[in-house]
Amino acid sequence: MSGRGQVRFDGIVKMHGEFAALKGVTFDIEPGEFFALLGPSGSGKSTTLRILAGLDAPSAGRVFIDGQDITAADACDRDIAMVFQSYALYPHMTVYENIAFPLEMAKMSKAEIAPAVREAARKVAIEHLLERKPGQLSGGQQQRCALARAIVRKARLFLLDEPLSNLDAKLRLETRTELKKLQRSLGVTAVYVTHDQEEAMTLADRMAVFMAGEIQQIGRPADVFAKPNSIDVAAFIGSPPMNLIPARYKDGGVEIAGRRLETGLKEAGERNVVAGIRPGAVRIAAGGIPAVVELVEDLGDTAILDLDCSGISIRARVSDGDVPSEGAALSITARPADIHLFDATTRRRL
Amino acid sequence: MPDNAAAIPTSGNLGRVLARRERRFAAALLAPAFLALLATTTFPLLFLVGTSTFRMDLAMPFADGFVGFENYRTLLADDRFWSSLLVSLIYTGSTVVLQVALGLALALLVMDMKRGQGWFRVIAILPVVLSPAVVGMIWRTFMLAPEFGIVDYLAINAGLGSKNWLGDPLLAMVSVIVIHTWQWTPFAFMVLLASLASLPEDIYEAARLDRASAWQRFRRITLPLLRPAIVMVVIMRTMVALTAFAAIFTVTGGGPGTATEILNLYAYRKSFTELSIGYGSALAVALLVVTILISGVLFALRRAK
Ligand SMILES: Nc1ncnc2c1ncn2[C@@H]1O[C@H](COP(=O)(O)OP(=O)(O)OP(=O)(O)O)[C@@H](O)[C@H]1O
Ligand SMILES: [Mg+2]
Repeated sequence: MSGRGQVRFDGIVKMHGEFAALKGVTFDIEPGEFFALLGPSGSGKSTTLRILAGLDAPSAGRVFIDGQDITAADACDRDIAMVFQSYALYPHMTVYENIAFPLEMAKMSKAEIAPAVREAARKVAIEHLLERKPGQLSGGQQQRCALARAIVRKARLFLLDEPLSNLDAKLRLETRTELKKLQRSLGVTAVYVTHDQEEAMTLADRMAVFMAGEIQQIGRPADVFAKPNSIDVAAFIGSPPMNLIPARYKDGGVEIAGRRLETGLKEAGERNVVAGIRPGAVRIAAGGIPAVVELVEDLGDTAILDLDCSGISIRARVSDGDVPSEGAALSITARPADIHLFDATTRRRL
Repeated sequence: MPDNAAAIPTSGNLGRVLARRERRFAAALLAPAFLALLATTTFPLLFLVGTSTFRMDLAMPFADGFVGFENYRTLLADDRFWSSLLVSLIYTGSTVVLQVALGLALALLVMDMKRGQGWFRVIAILPVVLSPAVVGMIWRTFMLAPEFGIVDYLAINAGLGSKNWLGDPLLAMVSVIVIHTWQWTPFAFMVLLASLASLPEDIYEAARLDRASAWQRFRRITLPLLRPAIVMVVIMRTMVALTAFAAIFTVTGGGPGTATEILNLYAYRKSFTELSIGYGSALAVALLVVTILISGVLFALRRAK
């Protein structure tokens, strides 16, 4: 199946009247890749997916699938399966009929359809609900039904718009794993929309981070996490979010709350920067920035500390063993490699 | 518990008291309308059934008297009754089918219109607000009159020649069917358009991605989802068409001969032209029975899946 499902977005613009939902989006997806579109609500993820599916036409730019310009092709002719954010199940059909519908449209025989439907339903654990109508299902069950309808047909491209948003935590984890295995075994290209960065991190081979209709960064999740290229991406990815502290850079170090921390950047000169330190990278060690513990959020295996460093609040994640109590005074520091530096005016990574 | 606790109703008790109070209030609100309905529908209906068991001939008052089921026996042997019943059924069947088919086609067309929907709705609703008698007059004079009527004029120009639209039995039947359809298709159109507009858009997008053609989307999605609305329109229009009167009365008066004489019109002619009130009443009761039977069947169909 490799070689099928290559996608190219070339300068896609989508206008709603005066409002630009997408402001020139360009990316490539390799065949067989699991590609995530990650971004906050309203950033244009669904819009991108709908243009790829052929449900909306872009205002400018071109879409290619497998090297073919399909910008003007109808959704029917694109051979794409999609899970809608709103599920879009056929309300008058049973779950079985819903899942069977794409196969019927592909003119498969009844004898072939029945096992395929059961298999798809089994993969998302709804084989006991086949006789129900969508109105008699819970949100999560509807979502799984929509998922089954999409995977039952071997389309060349598989689009998922937040397909797990309504599942409970346990089911979400299970389905996530199932989805990843499924995509691997089919070797099909998947484009996955989510605003949950953990989902994108665990599932995707590569991801694109959307903000306000633009792609901020494309790359492997680990790379994006390790080297966010702007303040916005840094603030969006990681939980709890990265500490972003306005600071003064001078000759390879930053000054925070009156103390100097060495950074990885070796550059002479002085400038205003924003220093980013992930909560997990904050170390409690003598000789660093003095801090007072304001609040402890115990998460079981780790704890999040809200620290006050003479007016600047910083969050730190510590493992279970050495949790300080609230009100304790301590000193924090970070390794030079763990300090991300961003330009205060352009908001780009330095 | 202190004494006065007994005076306060417990929660279950309170609920029942409130429910009873509400029911009494509802009954009081309903009473005037209910009495008015009783006086204007139930009572005349009973009177009609009573009358149908009498011989009541204004032309021969000396022969009047109670005859039991005699009128109904006459009716079953009356060829003109059976032919008027047939005309009624043809008239009803064809107008209802045409209204639903045309109304649905129009609704689908208008749904796809980007602009001008509002105007179309306003114009489309106009025939409905006209009185059927006025519609009948308009068609008889303005549309179907020989030489000068618009339809006849078009027929002449199309090379069909001038036709006697209301004088020829077949053409007269076609004409009254067209007139009724013309007046009432907008009703079906409006109802179906409203229910079409309420269908979710995303399932059509899903169907497109599932590679259903336009026809398959119509057959497998639109039609089943519109079914309740269509059945409702069929039921309502059937009942009205079965008891139609004014338009046919003004256009053909049932003629030529009895070509467009629906059951309703026959009952009217018997009662008020031939002044056989007793037999006319029996015909009216027969129409009532037919209407109830047909709507019963339709309602049963609606309930069946
Ligand atoms: N028909 C429309 N008219 C005007 N604006 C629209 C229209 N459809 C979408 N938008 C706007 O386009 C932007 C992008 O919408 P989109 O649905 O792609 O967001 P999203 O990233 O999928 O968000 P979410 O995570 O909430 O689903 C939003 O700001 C939205 O308000
Ligand atoms: Mg969305």
